[in-house]
Amino acid sequence: MEGNGSGAMLSLQGVCKRFGQLEVLRGVDLEIKKGEVVCVLGPSGSGKSTLLRCVNLLEPPEEGDIHLEGRSICKGPGSGSGEKGWELNFVRQRVGIVFQQFNLFPHKTALQNVTLAQEKVLGRSSAEAREKGAELLERVGLGDKLNEYPERLSGGQQQRVAIARALAMDPHVMLFDEVTSALDPELVKEVLDSMRKLAEEGMTMIVVTHEIGFAREVADRVVFMDEGVIVEDGPPSQVIDSPREERTKKFLGLVLEH
Amino acid sequence: MQEFINQFFDVGFMVDHFDEVLEGFWVTIQLSVLSGILALIWGLILATLRQLPGKGFMPVRAVTIAYIDVFRGIPLLILILIIAGGVPALEFLPESLRLPQWFGKPDNFWFGVLAITITYGAYMAEVYRSGIESVPGGQMEAARSLGMSHGQAMRNVILPQAVRKVIAPLLNDFVALTKDTTLVSVIALSEVTQVANDIQSETFNSSALVLGALLFLAVTLPLARLIDKLIAREQGRFTRGAPRVEAL
Repeated sequence: MEGNGSGAMLSLQGVCKRFGQLEVLRGVDLEIKKGEVVCVLGPSGSGKSTLLRCVNLLEPPEEGDIHLEGRSICKGPGSGSGEKGWELNFVRQRVGIVFQQFNLFPHKTALQNVTLAQEKVLGRSSAEAREKGAELLERVGLGDKLNEYPERLSGGQQQRVAIARALAMDPHVMLFDEVTSALDPELVKEVLDSMRKLAEEGMTMIVVTHEIGFAREVADRVVFMDEGVIVEDGPPSQVIDSPREERTKKFLGLVLEH
Repeated sequence: MQEFINQFFDVGFMVDHFDEVLEGFWVTIQLSVLSGILALIWGLILATLRQLPGKGFMPVRAVTIAYIDVFRGIPLLILILIIAGGVPALEFLPESLRLPQWFGKPDNFWFGVLAITITYGAYMAEVYRSGIESVPGGQMEAARSLGMSHGQAMRNVILPQAVRKVIAPLLNDFVALTKDTTLVSVIALSEVTQVANDIQSETFNSSALVLGALLFLAVTLPLARLIDKLIAREQGRFTRGAPRVEAL
């Protein structure tokens, strides 16, 4: 990874996103340093997922600016939602994302899922891609599942393949969009363990999650969002254990109750 | 009763004319397979054009949709007559295009191929589209998030899944196409209908036409069974419990 000075890895200024009449993000400011792990909490509909999708331009923001490694990825907001105005290649080569629904390619084996984009996008040879893919699948504990198709894997295993698939592109930032929400409870841990390992290795991560325990333990910072804005931002000990804002207290009260 | 059997099911008559009818049916098979392959390819191209993203491709999408609507909406028979009667009259075309005699096949064979490909390409484009649209949106997002272009994602991720899902309906269209090749007899191509019809006109015996129909069944019945098997297999893929939340 080439460090880009001491500046923020990622910084968002006044990011707004609308879907028709619905304002999902209403001016989000956020700075994330290299190697930082930021967990984003908030009720459903608060804009957490949209925030992630703005960062990797799956949903380009309408207003505001996003800098990735010091470079603006929104070339002139107002250039429309087409692909022209956006630094798509720059972003997608540096930002990996893992989805709630895994979205593995069902017609490809675990290993092929991890090698496909390496070959097509990064131009790696198939031997190189397979070596890297096998190594990554080994790292997420799936060294024995290389040739299985997704439908033969459990949800937790599928999600770990998805993590390996994103890592194969050598991202500088990893986004996790409620990656354990679709999993049976007993499968959550194996996925969180993979993420914890990644955090320990120094990956910059934004994790949208409902796993408060994970946030408390792994996050350097916790961000609480509600109604399209960031309500509270600070270390886990502050935001989770002694929140200042009423809305944060109320949400955590509901989540931690049971 | 005997008269009925003699008219339609005269086995001796069928044997006498078997070679002629079979020769005609061979032309039918060639016409079907060639048009079928071309329509499969042309339909895939049309479906892909129809899915191009963004504002810039709006005109391409509009033209493609108009094409599909028009050629699904006009009878193949009229299209065959328009092409066979019209193309040879276009003086500005070189003769090899006005009256194509490629690979030793007469021009009406090629006009038939053209008309069938134009029409069935439109039908098959719609089948492909249903396949493409049945692939969950998360697949395109995942591919794009890994840095693939729209084209790479279509080629490597979306189309392989889409085509697998629509093999059965595509084969269905192919069966219909095979039967519709008989329409090319209207421009005097010596395929099975034309040959058997000529025999009927000369002999006032319909058994040759019935023989032609039986030859069709020999091809279409196995295809129907194959389609059933493919559908059952595709459904099996779903009931085997793969967690495909969006697909359900």
